[in-house]
Amino acid sequence: MKFLTMLLLLTLNWNALAISVDEIVQKTNHNSYYRGKDGRAEVKMVIKDSQGRERKRSFTILRLNTGKNKDGKQKFYVYFKRPSDVKKMAFLVWKQINQEDDRWMYFPSLDLVKRIAGADKRTSFVGSDFFYEDVSGRNIDADKHELLETSDNYFVIKNTPKDVVPVEFSYFKMWIHKTSFLPIKSEYYDKAGKLYRTYEVAKVDTIQDKPTVTKAIMKDLNKKTETELSYSKVEYDVGLSEDIFTERYLRNPPVKEMKF
Amino acid sequence: MKKSLWNLKSILIHVAVEKPKAVLTSMLVITLGILALAAAPTLFPERFPEFPKLTVDTDPENMLPHDEESRVFHDHMKKELDLNEIVAVGVVNEKNPNGIYNKKSLTNIYKLVEYAKTLEGVKSVDIMAPSMLDNIEQGSLGEVKFDWLLPAPPKTEEEALSLRDKVKRLPFLKGTIFSEDDKAIAIFLPITEKHYSYEIYTQLRDEIQKLGGDDDFHIAGLPVAEDTFGVEMFKQMAISAPLAMLIIFSLMLLFFKKLSMIISPMIVAMVSVISTMGLLVISGNTVHIMSSMIPIFIMPIAVLDAVHILSDFFDSYQKTRDRKKTILHVMDALFAPMLYTSITTIAGFASLALTPNPPVQVFGTFVALGVAFAWIWTILFIPSYIMLLSDKSLANFGLKQSGKIHKVGLIDQFLGWTGHVTYKHPKFILSIVGIISLISFYGISKIVINDNPTRWFAKTHPIRIADKVMNKHLAGTYMGYLSLQPKPEEKVSDEYLDSLVKRAESIFTPEQLQSEAAQNLLKTLKTQIITVGKNSNNRDDLLMKMGDYLEEQIDNASSNEEELWDKVISAFDAYRTELQIFKKPEVLHYMEGLQNHLNQLKTVGKTSSLVEIVKTVHRELFGGKEEYYRIPDNANTVGQSLITYQSSHRPQDLWHFVTPNYQKTNIWVQLKSGNNQDMQEVVDETDRYAKLNPPPMDLEVKWFGLTYINLVWQQEMVTGMLEAFLGSFAIVLLMMVFLFRSFLWGILSMIPLSVTILFIYGTVGLVGKDYDMPVAVLSSLSLGLAVDYAIHFLARSREIYKHTQNWEKAIKEIFSEPARAIFRNVIVVGVGFTPLLLSPLVPYQTVGTLIAGILLSAGFVTLFILPALMTLMKKRLFK
Repeated sequence: MKFLTMLLLLTLNWNALAISVDEIVQKTNHNSYYRGKDGRAEVKMVIKDSQGRERKRSFTILRLNTGKNKDGKQKFYVYFKRPSDVKKMAFLVWKQINQEDDRWMYFPSLDLVKRIAGADKRTSFVGSDFFYEDVSGRNIDADKHELLETSDNYFVIKNTPKDVVPVEFSYFKMWIHKTSFLPIKSEYYDKAGKLYRTYEVAKVDTIQDKPTVTKAIMKDLNKKTETELSYSKVEYDVGLSEDIFTERYLRNPPVKEMKF
Repeated sequence: MKKSLWNLKSILIHVAVEKPKAVLTSMLVITLGILALAAAPTLFPERFPEFPKLTVDTDPENMLPHDEESRVFHDHMKKELDLNEIVAVGVVNEKNPNGIYNKKSLTNIYKLVEYAKTLEGVKSVDIMAPSMLDNIEQGSLGEVKFDWLLPAPPKTEEEALSLRDKVKRLPFLKGTIFSEDDKAIAIFLPITEKHYSYEIYTQLRDEIQKLGGDDDFHIAGLPVAEDTFGVEMFKQMAISAPLAMLIIFSLMLLFFKKLSMIISPMIVAMVSVISTMGLLVISGNTVHIMSSMIPIFIMPIAVLDAVHILSDFFDSYQKTRDRKKTILHVMDALFAPMLYTSITTIAGFASLALTPNPPVQVFGTFVALGVAFAWIWTILFIPSYIMLLSDKSLANFGLKQSGKIHKVGLIDQFLGWTGHVTYKHPKFILSIVGIISLISFYGISKIVINDNPTRWFAKTHPIRIADKVMNKHLAGTYMGYLSLQPKPEEKVSDEYLDSLVKRAESIFTPEQLQSEAAQNLLKTLKTQIITVGKNSNNRDDLLMKMGDYLEEQIDNASSNEEELWDKVISAFDAYRTELQIFKKPEVLHYMEGLQNHLNQLKTVGKTSSLVEIVKTVHRELFGGKEEYYRIPDNANTVGQSLITYQSSHRPQDLWHFVTPNYQKTNIWVQLKSGNNQDMQEVVDETDRYAKLNPPPMDLEVKWFGLTYINLVWQQEMVTGMLEAFLGSFAIVLLMMVFLFRSFLWGILSMIPLSVTILFIYGTVGLVGKDYDMPVAVLSSLSLGLAVDYAIHFLARSREIYKHTQNWEKAIKEIFSEPARAIFRNVIVVGVGFTPLLLSPLVPYQTVGTLIAGILLSAGFVTLFILPALMTLMKKRLFK
C-alpha cells in the first residue's frame, strides 16, 4: 500500500521533477537574453504616466555575447534616434557577471563620452519603468529560486535575493512558459510583502525559429506609471564584430550595422 | 403694516400667556424632531442612507468655493505636476558633536521612514528622506554615479558622517532636507489627502516614542496644523460652549437669585443652538471651522432678550405680584425693541451670505437662523415658563419694595451717577469720545491684515514649537509654488500651419523627392497638417496628434515607404522639441534670475526648480567641477542632462518641476513662515521682478500651493466682510429710521455701534493683533449686538419721555430699570465668554476677548454717549 502511494506520487510529479529549478532558470535566462551569437532590434518605448500622458523614445539596440562560458559576458550598444534632443546619444554597456558592469554614455551636444557607474542596476532605464537590469538581464546567481507551482502552461518560480540591501523588492515571481522558456509575467513584491511592480509580455513572435518577445509592459503600481517596449526588425546572428562595442563607435555610430 | 405688527404681537403674547403648555410642548416637539433628524443618520448612517449626516470639514481651503479661479488653478497644477501636500518631520540633534550625522540619529530616521511608508495616506514613492533619495556623484573611475543616500542604517559612525559630505554637494536637497548647520534632517511625507494629516501626525508621534536616543522630533507643515486645529477645535467646542453657559448661568443667578427663573434663558439658548446645528446637519452643510463657532455666537444673543424680559420682570413683579399683568406689561414694552434688535442682528449675520467664502456664508445664514429661533422662543417660551411656575417659586422674586432704591447697591449707584453725569456734562463726555475715536482711527490705520494657521495654536503647543524649530534649522516648511507657462493659445495659428507645410517640403532629399511614393506621401502629409491643425488646441497638441498619426502610418507602411515615414516622424519630433520652452537656456536663465531675487527675501528659505537639477547634472558630467555648475549653452544639452537625471532611482521627481511636454514649469518657494503677509511680500516681489525684467517669451507667472491659497481666501474674506458690513450697516440704518419714524433717531441709534466698531478695531490695530479670520467675522457680531443696546435704550427713553415730558426726569427713570437691564446684559454675556480665553487655540481666545470687548464697549458707549447726545439735542429729538 505504502509502496503504491509512493509510486503514485512519483508519477504525478514526474513532469515537475523532469527538470530542475536551476535548469528552468538557466534556460529562461538564455532564451531571454542570450539567443544567437548576437542580435539587434529597433525599439520603441512609450512611457505613460498616471495621467495618461505619453513620452516616446526610439532607439536601436545591438547585442553581442562575448563570454567564453555559456551565457556569460555581453556587450550592448544602444543608439538613440528620438526624441530629437537626445538623438545620437549612444550608450555602451559591457555586461559583467560577478562584478560591476562598465557603461559609457555619449553626449552629442557636448561631444563628450562619460562613464556611468554600473554598480546599481536597479535605476531607471532612461526614465522608464524598466530598470537597466530588466533590459540587460539580472544575474541568476543573485537570487535563490524556488518552483512554486507548475501549471499546464507555466512554471511559477519565486526568486528571493541573497542580498536584500541593493534591491527594493523582497522577492519576485516569474511565470515561465513551459515550452518557450520565456517569462510571460513577473510580479515584484516590496519589503512589506505588497505587490508593487508587474511585467507582462504582450506579444511573442517567432523569429529565426526562436520565440521572441516583441512587446512587453512594465507597470509600477505605486507610481501608477507604465512603460511599453516594442521590438521590431529583430534579427539574430547578424555577424556583429566586437570592435563596434568600443568608445570610438560612440562618437561615430556603426551606421552599416544599424541599417536593417 | 403697523396694524399687522400689532396683531402679531398680541397673538404671540396671547398664546404665550394663555397657552403655556401648548408652547412648551410644541417647543419640545420641534426641537427634538430636528435633533432626531440630524442625529439618526449620523449615528446610524446605514439605516438612513438617504439623509445627510454630520460631516466635519476642517479644511481651510474650503473657505474658497470649489470653482474659485485660484483654487481651480491650484488643483489643476497640483494634478499636472503630481504634487501633494506635505507633512514635514524634523529630526534635530543639538547634543552630538557631529550633529544629526551619527549612527543612532540616522538609524532613527531610517526606521521612522520605514514606518511612515506603511501609513495610510502617505504616498511612499515620493517621500523625501535620506533613505529614499538619490545621490549623484563622481564614482571611482570618474563616472557619473547614482546611488541611494542611505540605503541601510549606517553600521559605523564614519559611515554616518560620510552622508554629511555627500549632501554638501547636493544643492537640491541642502536646506530642504538636510540643514545647513548639520543639526537637522527633514522627512517630507507627501500625503494623498489632507484629512489624513492628523492621523499620520498621531501615529508618527507614537512611533517616535519608541525610538530613543537624544534626537528631538518635530512635526510641522500646513496640513498638520490645519487638520490638528480641526480636531482640537471640536474638543474645544465641547469644553468652551458648556463652560460659557455655566458662567452665564452663575452670573444670572447672582443677579436674579432665583434658580427656577434663570433656567428659562438657558433653555432658550440650548433650544436655539440645537435647532440651528440640527438644521445645519439636515441641510447637508458641513461643520467647518467657521460653523463650529455658531453655538458660541448664538448663545449670548439668545440669552440677551431673555435677560431683558427677566430683568424687567424682576424689577416690576413685586409692584403688583400679579404675574400675568406684569408679563403683559413687560412684553408690551419689550416686544418692539426685541423684534427690532433681532431683525437687526439677523440682518447683520445674514449679510455674510453675500461674502465670497462658502463657510462664512453658511456661518452667517445659520447664526441668523439661530437668532430667529432665539427670538420666537424668547417671546413664546419665557412668558409661558413664568406662567407655569408655581406661586411659591415666584414668591420672593425681584425687588421686595420698589421704594428702597438707595439700598440696592453698586450697580444702581453707578447707573445713577452715569445718568447724572451724562445730563450735567454731555460735552465733556462727547469730547472724551471724540478723543478716543481719533486714537481709534489712528489704530485702524495701523491694522495689519494677516493670518497664519500655525499661529492658531498657543505658543507652547507642539505644532508651534515644531514650526519654530524646523524653520530655524531648515529652509522652510511652507511651500509656495510659482508656475511659469506660456499664455494659453486659443488655437493653432494659420501662420504656424503654413510654416509646417513649408517645412514638410524640405524633409526629403531631392533624390527621394524624385519618387512618386515621396510625392504622394508629401501630399497626404500636407492635408493632414491642415486637418489636424484645425482640430488642435495648440501647437504642442497638434504635433502630438501628428506624432500619433505618423506612428500609425509607419506601422502600416510598405518597406520602401517606411524609410520615408521614419524621416517625417523624426522631423515632426524635432518640431515638437522646439516647443519645449523649459529646456531653452534663456528661459532657464530667466528662472535663475527670478529665483536669485526671491532667495534674497528674508522669508524665503530656498527656491528649487528645474534649474538646480540641470546645473547639478551638468556639473557631474564635467567631473563634478564647480565651474560647470551652470545652465548649459544649448537646449539639447539640457535635454541630454535631463535624460541622464532620469536614469536615477527617482526619475519621477522631475515631473514635480515641469510637465513632460516642458510647457509648464514650477518653482518651489520654501517660506519660513505661514504668515499671509509674508506670502504677500513674496508675491509682490515676484510681480515687481517680472515687471522690471520681462520674461524672454510671453510667460504667465502665477502662484499656487496651500500657503498662497490661504492668502487668497483671506483677501477675499476681508473685502467680502467689509462689503457685507457696509451693506448691513445701511440696511440696519434704514430699519432704524423706519422703527423710530425719524431720520435723526435712526442716526442716533447707529452711533453706539459705530463708536464700538471704531474702538474695537482701533484697539486691534494699536495692540498689533493681526486682523485675521475671527477678527473679521466679529464685525458682524458687534453690529448685531451694539445696535441692540441702542434700540432698547432709545425705545425706552422715548416711551418714558412720553409720560414724563421732562428730559431730566426721564433720564433718571431710564437709568433705573432699562439701564439696569442693559447693564446686566453686558455683564452676563460679556463675562460669560471669558472661558474662551483659557483655550489653547488662539482664534477662540480672540473670539472670547472680542465678544467681551464688544459687549462692554457697546454697553458703556450706549449708556454714556446716547444720553449725552440726547441731552444736547433734546429740543430737536422731542419736538
